[in-house]
Amino acid sequence: MEGESGDITVTSANRKGSAVTGSARKIKDNAADWHNLMLRWEKLNEDGFKVAANVVNIRGSPSDRQLAHESSSPSLSSSPAELQNECRKLQDIVHKMVVVVMKMERLLTSQRGIQDLEEFQFAPEGRKSPLFHTWNTKQFEELSQVLLDAFSQELKLKQTILQELAHTWTSDLCMVYLSCWLHQPFIPPETRLTLEALLLETGHRPL
Amino acid sequence: MSKPVLTSLHQALRKSFQCLENNQKVWENVLAECSPLMVSLGNLAEQSTALSNVQISNTPLRAFPDLEERLRFKLLQATDTVLNKLSEKMSSLQSVRDAISNQVSAVFQLYEQSTDSLDLLTVTERSAIAPSVADMLEWLQDAERHYRQQFLRRKTLLQTLRADNLSLLESAPKRWKSLESPSAEDNITDTLCKVSFFMESP
Repeated sequence: MEGESGDITVTSANRKGSAVTGSARKIKDNAADWHNLMLRWEKLNEDGFKVAANVVNIRGSPSDRQLAHESSSPSLSSSPAELQNECRKLQDIVHKMVVVVMKMERLLTSQRGIQDLEEFQFAPEGRKSPLFHTWNTKQFEELSQVLLDAFSQELKLKQTILQELAHTWTSDLCMVYLSCWLHQPFIPPETRLTLEALLLETGHRPL
Repeated sequence: MSKPVLTSLHQALRKSFQCLENNQKVWENVLAECSPLMVSLGNLAEQSTALSNVQISNTPLRAFPDLEERLRFKLLQATDTVLNKLSEKMSSLQSVRDAISNQVSAVFQLYEQSTDSLDLLTVTERSAIAPSVADMLEWLQDAERHYRQQFLRRKTLLQTLRADNLSLLESAPKRWKSLESPSAEDNITDTLCKVSFFMESP
């Protein structure tokens, strides 16, 4: 996914360059925003995974801790502060993810607005010819909903992991948390395809 | 009479050692690329095992009823990706093995065709810069056998792996590593050193 980040660059220059206006303009910009937000999410997810792995490593397994306690090793005494620090970092990252999802919600709202406008301008069945290639305006809204649902659910999972990670003692469960964080079970592979379809339809990617 | 035959045999030997030298590097590189893949394979298996050991409904994750299924799907998908990459690497290893085998069997064919005109002395005679034909043939054969065996062992290991057999997957990195045979690799490097003057001579 990372490698594709350079494929489209959305700058104010090429926004002006194409002569799309009105609803089409808005939908096209929204598509670019979806792309950028999803990239941002990926980046946050990677960073977050490193921090989450640190949390688990610092805390160590229960047996390690017991050993350290018995030998009252001073080298591990800095652990709580370090752990606190890493947890705070993870909290920051999750907070940034919340912001990303909020922005995604706004995209959906904007898409709904376009849909409402369309129904006002034309009959409820919408405009006669599609704005871009083949999709009708409703489909953009539906797609945005699918993407938003996936990311909202994944965000809930991250928030749960954030709360529980530092308080979990069984190593299997820690592993499951990390595994969930990394593999993002609520963001299925189709999400990427959905985004690509959106980019293709709106002309960000050449047909 | 034996002189032109010996010259062409020497040419063929030079070509084979050249081929061996090039392919030895390719082989090493491909194997080096396999190591991180094997490690991630083991990691993924560990994650799947952990998931099986945890009763999601007894954890704070119970709020996500379809989580286990979804995570398992993602893990299987990731495992599949790694296995695919490994099988691509295996084709690279296979082409190394094939290149060496073909080259060595060509030399042996040439040698067998010319046995009539080569007497024992010519075949076993060596000089300060060139090892004897017999020695060089033997070294080539050893190298060829090494790559053939290595390829088969690694291929067999990968073929027994299944995305749903976690214990096999978990032990795979260790077993993969145990197939390493540094002494055989060293022998090949030694061989290439021993023929270095021979290869430079016209």
